[in-house]
Amino acid sequence: MADSRDRPLDRLWRRFPALLIARRNLTRTRARSSLAMLGIVIGVIAIAALGVFGATLQASITGSLGDIGNQLVVSPAANEGVEFLTERDVREIRRVSGEARVVPVRQNVSTIDVRGETRRVTVYGMDSPGDAYEATDGRIPDPLRSGALVGANLADDLDIDVGDSIVVGDPEEGTGESYRVQAILESQQAFSIIDPGSAVVLPLRDVGGEGYTQVVVTAESGQAANETAVAIRESLNDREERVSIFELGQIVEQIGTALESVNLFLVGIGSISLLVAGVSILNVMLMSAIERREEIGVLRAVGYQRTDVLRIMLSEALLLGTIGGAVGTVFSLVGGLLINQVLLGDALAVFTPTNLLYILAALGFGTLTSLVSGLYPAWKAANERPVDALRK
Amino acid sequence: MSAGDGAPVIEARDVVKRYVTEAETILALDGVSLAVEPGEFVAIMGPSGSGKSTLLNVLGLLDEPTEGAVYLDGEDTSTLTERERTSARKRTIGFIFQNFYLIPTLTAKENVEVPRLLDQDPETPARAAELLAKVGLGDRLDHTPGELSGGQKQRVAIARSLVNDPRVLLADEPTGNLDRQTGRDVLEQFEEIRTEGVAVIAVTHDAQVADYADRTITLVDGRVSADEPRVATTPTGSLGASGGAGSPEASGSSDAGEPGGTTGPSDDAGEEDDTSHGG
Repeated sequence: MADSRDRPLDRLWRRFPALLIARRNLTRTRARSSLAMLGIVIGVIAIAALGVFGATLQASITGSLGDIGNQLVVSPAANEGVEFLTERDVREIRRVSGEARVVPVRQNVSTIDVRGETRRVTVYGMDSPGDAYEATDGRIPDPLRSGALVGANLADDLDIDVGDSIVVGDPEEGTGESYRVQAILESQQAFSIIDPGSAVVLPLRDVGGEGYTQVVVTAESGQAANETAVAIRESLNDREERVSIFELGQIVEQIGTALESVNLFLVGIGSISLLVAGVSILNVMLMSAIERREEIGVLRAVGYQRTDVLRIMLSEALLLGTIGGAVGTVFSLVGGLLINQVLLGDALAVFTPTNLLYILAALGFGTLTSLVSGLYPAWKAANERPVDALRK
Repeated sequence: MSAGDGAPVIEARDVVKRYVTEAETILALDGVSLAVEPGEFVAIMGPSGSGKSTLLNVLGLLDEPTEGAVYLDGEDTSTLTERERTSARKRTIGFIFQNFYLIPTLTAKENVEVPRLLDQDPETPARAAELLAKVGLGDRLDHTPGELSGGQKQRVAIARSLVNDPRVLLADEPTGNLDRQTGRDVLEQFEEIRTEGVAVIAVTHDAQVADYADRTITLVDGRVSADEPRVATTPTGSLGASGGAGSPEASGSSDAGEPGGTTGPSDDAGEEDDTSHGG
């Protein structure tokens, strides 16, 4: 006797005797209790996992969009017949953009020739490409006065290294000119109007054409980019439509909102499974109340109040709910870790406030469901007159 | 230490119990009065349907009389709320059932603790062990009911009924599921309990019980038809020789004491025992 009293777990059960009785009652019909619990496990996983998976997917998509969310691309308003942006436009853009880096670009198409291999490529003319892009290899001169920068994809394709010589233009037409490659440019991760990854960047004056085809504005943040876009519109499109602005941040935001609604929809579907789990707990508890009718009658006879019986029965429902919920939470977390590892490359990214909220909500909802399902059977058991329960 | 002249610990005064069903009104108890003193052992006998179980339920505050009242220690219980009646039951009354009604997943000791389990009294486990030792099950503390014989189960039930220090023990066919010898063991336990001042009231078909009782009350059709003290003397031991239901000593009491001799009407309260249980 003394030894069983000294075990800490026993002491814990003794502290909550209603739970002790509840636990014993549940272990009596192991298979049935486990199945009811499984219902809660599935329900909690459905809510938590769908929520977390959805949020992770959203993070993954907006994450890959996010690094360009602070970029604006200002183009001439083609529908209004504006063909290029002038120096004056660029000055105006610089004026209203404040801190943001402004890189005017002249875009054209040309042929390049590397060791006899030719290719049609996009050519960008820029004075300070270093303001908008980064080099994977070599150094970007600022300003760019001579030499060429080659995008990483193109460099891969044609096996171009820093220091190589390339010919841009058509030698047969007499426009061919040789450039030394100064740097290889990193490719943009997401879509963008201007992606130097497969292009060649030359000093501005070496690219044919008039004025500028685009102006790339890189702000500190998506928020700042948004404000800059508003300022540019106010300034340049005041009297007539002169520029159109491609705002990546806005698109990112729209995609995010759409994903969020998809996510809520998924979670809604998940909660239906929890509802089903609740019904199965109701069923289990009701059967248990009917089967243990006499036993409950004895408890009432030996002095258990109605509220005591109610408490025991509700403890059973609560045990089913919390244990099932805890198991479901663990599974959801593991699943979340996996999906984060796969999609984001960082398993621990699962620990975001949104995800934890989903998991907590699922656990809470699971527990609440079982408690509510236990109410009717518990009430029924507690209110039976002991003399009726004990009638043989 | 049989009936003294002290105040009754439990008393029924003119108790009437009517069951109203759709078809008819059944008069289960028709003005029963009964007073039991501390340490007294009373057997209630009678044919099936005579109202024995109803009387026991009313005495145990499990059921309310239609008329009349039950007094515990002189206190009228008819004015108590459901909650107060439950508390009074816990304080004063211990129950023993024919089917033992132990909780199968709890050990013997835990079963004895059940009535006090919610009180979180640290003394309860020790008290339960002590009571089990007293009924001769000191070496069975951690056995579950499935591992115990019928007699052992009933002894666990007796220990359970005593854990709250009751003033009255109410037993419904306490020997109904036990063989004769085991039944006698249980009655020996009652004998010991009442020496400690606990009144024992047993509803039974078993004439053997009457042999141990201070008096035997016979109910017929919801009325007390006989209330007789035990004839003479025989304490416990000498009964062992006679195997039949009707022992010589028992013949002094009402003929209703013979289990085989009663062919009562079909019972309203389902008193017919089910001896297939147990073991």
